[in-house]
Amino acid sequence: MKKIGFALLFFLFMSQTVYADFDMQAAIDAARPGEIVHIPAGRYQGNFIVTKPITLQGEEGTELIGERDKPALRIENTAKVTVENITLSGKNKAIVASDVDGLELRKLQIKDVHTGVHIQRSKNVRIHEVNVAGSEAHYSQKGNGVAVFKSEDITIEGNTIERVQDGIYVEEVTRVVVQRNKVTSSRYGTHFMYTSDAEALFNTYLHNVTGLMIMMTTDILLENNTVANHFDFNGYGMLLYDVQQAKIKLNTIKNNRTGVALQKSSNIQIETNDFQMNQTALEGTKVNGDTTASSNNFTGNILTARSDKQGFQLVSNYYDDYSGIDLKDNGFGDIPYVAVSSFGQWMVRQPVYQYFVASPSVILLTSLDQQINKTEKNMLIDNTPRLVMKDTKEKNKVNMVQMLVGLFLTLSSLWLWKRGITE
Amino acid sequence: MKKWIMIVMLCCAVLMGCSEKTYEPREIVSETDVCKICNMSIVHNEYAGQIALKNGDYEIFDDIGCLMEYIEANGEDEVGAAYIKDAAKNEWIDVIKAVYVYNKDYWTPMNYGVVAFDTKEAAQEWMVSEGEGQLLAYTDLHDFKWGIHK
Repeated sequence: MKKIGFALLFFLFMSQTVYADFDMQAAIDAARPGEIVHIPAGRYQGNFIVTKPITLQGEEGTELIGERDKPALRIENTAKVTVENITLSGKNKAIVASDVDGLELRKLQIKDVHTGVHIQRSKNVRIHEVNVAGSEAHYSQKGNGVAVFKSEDITIEGNTIERVQDGIYVEEVTRVVVQRNKVTSSRYGTHFMYTSDAEALFNTYLHNVTGLMIMMTTDILLENNTVANHFDFNGYGMLLYDVQQAKIKLNTIKNNRTGVALQKSSNIQIETNDFQMNQTALEGTKVNGDTTASSNNFTGNILTARSDKQGFQLVSNYYDDYSGIDLKDNGFGDIPYVAVSSFGQWMVRQPVYQYFVASPSVILLTSLDQQINKTEKNMLIDNTPRLVMKDTKEKNKVNMVQMLVGLFLTLSSLWLWKRGITE
Repeated sequence: MKKWIMIVMLCCAVLMGCSEKTYEPREIVSETDVCKICNMSIVHNEYAGQIALKNGDYEIFDDIGCLMEYIEANGEDEVGAAYIKDAAKNEWIDVIKAVYVYNKDYWTPMNYGVVAFDTKEAAQEWMVSEGEGQLLAYTDLHDFKWGIHK
């Protein structure tokens, strides 16, 4: 009997505490503008709402659980709200913010929800250090990790998102920075639609259907991202559809079915990227002539570039399959590199041909193409192919703080050691 | 008697051969189906469209706007039948017979704001719950300005 009592006591102490005596909504309602509402550790079930400028601050073990099909937390018609250090879960959306000017979401854990964060008609929003983990279901059954609609001045930074529909979904937003996020195992890593003045920097996209999906967007910079392992039947590292004015630079694009695809787009500058081991590195359909791929490194790709009749410009890239020589000794090959491939163009029309891409007959056809197309003058020609890879990334960067701390510790240790010997 | 049976069967076979080919919509496969125009995966089935071509192929679309863009670009000569999902019932309906409602604030995968219904009553019902919109017929879609409207 005594043993059973101890066992029950053990489970009582081990189970998660529910603070029935702390009424979270009442605390929010009672808080004055600018106040911090501390939420003790515990599980709080309900649909909470914030309509005033306050900070909701949880502690380790603070969890909000949305009831029924409503969001766990709504923030509406207010300004300067901060939500931090809280775990959220529930059937529908974790957080919905509407018409908010000045919102900060940080250090949040979101799990087992349909959609993580949903922002609409808001401005000056910063979402950082938020982890969203979706369920194991197919992405068509799930919502987005972080979604922002009809808003402006948005920063989405340092978040980790996995197993959702679109990791970060941005629609009709002006001025948005998406940086240092990691999105894996989702449909699209980041999906921009009808957005202008956007930046995606230093993000990592792995094992999604497509890493970066950019649609009907103007003026976008994609820089220093790692986009890898998007090799499904419809997989792309980056897909730009109906995009005007984009700069794609210093990205590592590797092991994708198609590295970068451009469709119906104009004025796209693709420069100093590393294209490695993609089935097709670069693809363009209905692309305007002002689109240029320059100073990129193409290594280990099965097809370097393919396009429809319009093509695009290749300028001073490095190609590992270029076999020309440099008699002028200026670092550039003396004969043009021709990327035109009959098979590549067939693949543009019939994607299902991709399954034959490395077959002996296709390899033979591609070799023949390279010989025959030496006379090609207009399409997918690089007249100045570089012979040496351009190392575009800064290497061996010295971290001064780390170096000084290390030096101090070394000298201190030596001094202590010497002192120990002399004593 | 046998001779007559043979003649009747032969006539039936000839008539069947001459009969008009029918086209049936097929189900969406989210794993592999992407929009023929914009390349988006089809995840919001209630807005999807499809064209059954006369050669037996199917082209799939995520939004009625993409389906219309395909028809504008390729014409209707090779189109056997075209279907769009009824937004309320999630069932395939003929694009020509469907009733459409436009409201710039209705969300659709391409954000064109045009949704389809099998009847005018269903469209009216939708407008009661989702906001007033403009009723359109298939013929209106040819001149519709696809894109987002401020």
